[in-house]
Amino acid sequence: MMERAKCILIVDDEKAIQRFLRASLEEAGFETVEASTGRAALDLSVVRRPDVVLLDLGLPDMDGLDVLKRLREWTSVPIIILSVRGEESDKIAGLDLGADDYLTKPFGVEELLARIRVVLRHVERAREDAEPVYRHEDLRIDLVARRIWLGKKEVRLSPLQYTLLSSLVRNAGRVVSQRQLLKEIWPDGGNTPEALRILVHQTRHRIERDPVRPRHLKTEPAVGYRLEAPEE
Amino acid sequence: MMVMASPIREYILALGAAIVCTALCFALSPLVALTDLVMVYLVGTLAVALRGRRGPAVLSSFLGVLCFDFFFVPPRYTLHVESSEYLVTFLVMLAVALTISHLTLRVRTQAEAAKRSEVAAETERLRSSLLSAVSHELKTPLTAILGSADSLMRASAPGGGHWRELLENIREEAERLTRLVHNLVETTRLESGKARLRKEPYPIEDVVGTALERLEKSLAGRPVRTSLPETLPLVPLDPALMELVFVNLVDNAIRHAPGMTPIEISARALDAALEVSVTDRGPGLAPEHIGHVFEKFYRADPAGGGAGLGLAICKAVVEAHDGAIAARNRSEGGALFVLTLPRS
Repeated sequence: MMERAKCILIVDDEKAIQRFLRASLEEAGFETVEASTGRAALDLSVVRRPDVVLLDLGLPDMDGLDVLKRLREWTSVPIIILSVRGEESDKIAGLDLGADDYLTKPFGVEELLARIRVVLRHVERAREDAEPVYRHEDLRIDLVARRIWLGKKEVRLSPLQYTLLSSLVRNAGRVVSQRQLLKEIWPDGGNTPEALRILVHQTRHRIERDPVRPRHLKTEPAVGYRLEAPEE
Repeated sequence: MMVMASPIREYILALGAAIVCTALCFALSPLVALTDLVMVYLVGTLAVALRGRRGPAVLSSFLGVLCFDFFFVPPRYTLHVESSEYLVTFLVMLAVALTISHLTLRVRTQAEAAKRSEVAAETERLRSSLLSAVSHELKTPLTAILGSADSLMRASAPGGGHWRELLENIREEAERLTRLVHNLVETTRLESGKARLRKEPYPIEDVVGTALERLEKSLAGRPVRTSLPETLPLVPLDPALMELVFVNLVDNAIRHAPGMTPIEISARALDAALEVSVTDRGPGLAPEHIGHVFEKFYRADPAGGGAGLGLAICKAVVEAHDGAIAARNRSEGGALFVLTLPRS
């Protein structure tokens, strides 16, 4: 049986961006719907029930963050924010309001499709049982046995380093904000972004062959961290 | 800016004030006590001090005493003084006049300074909103250009042999423009003052890492050898700006050192600073350029691409962090850029 094509709602008031997004997404087998205002985005999300929303924050009629807030009042559809570099505080606010990820303009098609695949996979994963083993290149994390291998060698992590890694594995492929990680690693609070940076630094030196140019645990400048999406 | 009349006009004003005050005193002298006329001259001095600079105000103080003495103190119309008690009056009058001018001037300078800083703050607000608008307006079409070229490259090529090559061209140049826009935006942010620096303790490895990630495409597989020990101390820095330093230094090395020659990045802790160096295996810097490479719009090799902004930004950013940056040639060949950042 053929699966219904996934529908993507593109919310951006720039014609040129809409055209390029529509072309690349349809080429990749998605169906697209377009909205150039916040109002239209809210209406279309009800009528068309998209599987993913790409949301630009600079809309002519309302604040993109408000659109996000209104959507989150009734739907858990994956939302990916589109914004330019230098608007990191908007990205953080968006993630806090329940956005699933973001793309920094300009972005390539590969990156766009990868982000969409990840959020779609998370929706499916939520329905099924979580995958117990994360694999990406030479890194293998077994969440059941709580063991980690880099190539053939087993890696020993401190409990905090393991907590960091398991939070990232649960969101593999998606950005996890600094604030969210701080909350998950130190639920009692009292720790600073600086402590988190040191923890990430130490963890990288255990799980990366070249910690300066990490393959798995990437920094999202000013926002948080991302563990690369697992291999299928 | 303070609005200033020419000095000569202000001195004439001081003279004029003395004449007006004297005329007024003639009118008042039948009605009030002699010493009360002093007040009239003091008001004159106050008026001059409110309008002008120190010189005219001081002149007005002395003129007041002289006119008072000459026209009203007996014997009138001479500078002679009958009674020595008037000498005290003169001294007090002069002291009060000078104090008035001094205080008035100070109050005015302060008011002007306050206004200037208000204007500066307003300019700053304008500048930053303009900056984000420009950045947004430029990056939006670049996103469409880049994405469209990328999209076409993924689709099967209908055209002839040069199709891919030309698309690659569009994409690369759009990326270059994006970097240029980013450089310009960050320079402007930097020039608008230190206050906007967002410093926090960071491992240098993190910043070097994100810089290399941004340059992944330009590096095109060129080896980068890093030596950043795990135990290096954290340094307070603005991550977005410091990343820009490494992006520009490495980009510079990519453009000047040929083909697949390696780029090396290493760091070590000094007593009070962290020293980071970026070296390449290119031809190095010509002696006549070494002193100028950090100047804005200076290009050692006009054919080498780049707008001559990159290294100027590096210097500005490092100095905004109270650090220093220097360029020289390695004895084994190639250029070496060393920067030091204070550890606290």
